[in-house]
Amino acid sequence: MAGPPRHATMQSISNGSTLQSGDRPQAQPSQQQLSQQSPGLRVPSNRKTIYDRHLNRSRNTELSRASFAFLFGEMVTYAQRRVTGIQDLEKRLNEQGYPLGLRLLDLLFYRSTSTSSSALSSSSTSSSPPNRPLRIITLLHLIHGPLWRLLFGRAADALEHSVSPDTPNEYMITDNDPMVNTYISAPRDMSMLNCAAYVAGIIEGVCDGCGFETKVSAHNQPTELWPSRTVFLVRFGDSVMEREKVLERAGIK
Amino acid sequence: MSSTKTTRIGEETRVDKVNAELVTLTYGTIVAQLCQDYDSNYQDVNKQLDKMGYNIGMRLIEDFLAKSGVGRCANFRETADMIAKVGFKIFLNVTPTVTNWTSDNTQFSLIFEDNPLADFVELPDDGRAQDELWFSNILCGVLRGSLEMVQMQIEAHFVSDVLRGDDTTEMRVSLVRYIEDEMPPEEE
Amino acid sequence: MPDNNRGVFSLIIINKAGGLIYQREFQSGLRQLSTNDYLVLAGTFHGVHAITRSITPKIPISQPAPSPATSSPSTTAPAPSSYSYPNPGVPVSGLDYLETDKFRLTCFQTLTGTKFLLFTDPLTGNVDTIIQKIYELYADFVMKNPFYQIEMPVRCEAFDRHLGAWLRGRT
Repeated sequence: MAGPPRHATMQSISNGSTLQSGDRPQAQPSQQQLSQQSPGLRVPSNRKTIYDRHLNRSRNTELSRASFAFLFGEMVTYAQRRVTGIQDLEKRLNEQGYPLGLRLLDLLFYRSTSTSSSALSSSSTSSSPPNRPLRIITLLHLIHGPLWRLLFGRAADALEHSVSPDTPNEYMITDNDPMVNTYISAPRDMSMLNCAAYVAGIIEGVCDGCGFETKVSAHNQPTELWPSRTVFLVRFGDSVMEREKVLERAGIK
Repeated sequence: MSSTKTTRIGEETRVDKVNAELVTLTYGTIVAQLCQDYDSNYQDVNKQLDKMGYNIGMRLIEDFLAKSGVGRCANFRETADMIAKVGFKIFLNVTPTVTNWTSDNTQFSLIFEDNPLADFVELPDDGRAQDELWFSNILCGVLRGSLEMVQMQIEAHFVSDVLRGDDTTEMRVSLVRYIEDEMPPEEE
Repeated sequence: MPDNNRGVFSLIIINKAGGLIYQREFQSGLRQLSTNDYLVLAGTFHGVHAITRSITPKIPISQPAPSPATSSPSTTAPAPSSYSYPNPGVPVSGLDYLETDKFRLTCFQTLTGTKFLLFTDPLTGNVDTIIQKIYELYADFVMKNPFYQIEMPVRCEAFDRHLGAWLRGRT
């Protein structure tokens, strides 16, 4: 599902200590040792590298919402210049969100092991790390709750399963007022556009990172009270649905 | 305006907040996308980041003025103080040090102790990125765009970055000229 | 502030070049000017505003002193002038308001040159506060909207919505 080109770049330019710090040796290597490890990278003498600073340092820290809005807006503007059509634009925003999902998943797991009170719903014995979700519903609860709280400071507003017998693989996560869309008004001729496709990409990254092949898209479902209400449609692939049946029979939760 | 008063404005301006990691990761995915789009031609990436920052700056200045309520600065030294203690404080929650003034008061440096945009970042180990990429270059554009909207033409560039292995992260800012179009004529 | 919209008739926003980029009435049934009239009003006001700046009296002074109002850099200090604005600590503004028996037109020009013109009842108080809030909403829902192009007409549904809601006193 995630072809290499999709996040190849993100792995090299890493906001990516998330991928490594968890299993890094505890011994602090000297600068020389560090440079031996990665001969190409220079590090400051005061050792302000990602390996010297705690990964939880930024936990619960906040930044200006305006800064996010300006960066996100510029991401949209930049993407818009390189695409034709709304679907293309949403696809690009989705792709930009995807690597965040992979990283945030690791971050969620890492933090749930490093603190006593696990925010995750997974069952964990005192010493073993929390299991990654095996079943769809566990995964979706992880997204609806902990992921949403990490990103937006609150849980999502609803989680539903498709009622249609034709689409048992479809689930809906609803956000009444997506933070990423707060300041955005799409022009009339693009009324179908939903820039929360970026968040859909994040969800897709989380699912993929857990081994759930998924397509996620963001759809406008405004109500009078919630004009920017958005439904994230999560569609699991056939392989996931088949595995789900096997796990069901095996009684694994 | 006194320096302490400027500090107070920076601290007291109400700022709506969001999770810092979302901001950091969003900036990271922007830079990563550019590196991909420009085939790791880092000079082009720097340029594009500066351009994006310029676009942001032209908009961000209105938010800065509307939320902080500050008026026009009397001189460039005051402007520098305002950028560091109010601008960076409300938008990135850091206060870079203003230093290294030239004697004619037209150039200064901003030294960043912390840079949320670069949190958890390691540049690609490809033998070039640490020599060519200015990861936070968008900030130069933001300053250029914002100040142009309040009638100051400036030039800004990074001269060092801890991501490159330097001991400090330093941006150099130079006043090119005041844009007087909007001003009433000085003399008859 | 439940009664904000009492006495607030309409709002006009003029860009740096004097072009009308936003116009809205806040009371239903208000007689509307034609689009052309609004464009002319915007252009005319912009011109008059500039003139009022340029005709600001200058008083002679003995010592040339750099005037903060013109924010001149120290490098290119203006040619020594023997005139200064009255009360040099206060920046030179243009026309701040127009008032008749029936209405008051308040102009707020941002440091970037954008003008907000608010038509109110002459008795409406706190006009400055109202305009300041409008500026904040503009910074949020116009400037942070990636689909808005700077200096172009403002067509942002979220701005309309929040502006209307705030003026109706509902946040």
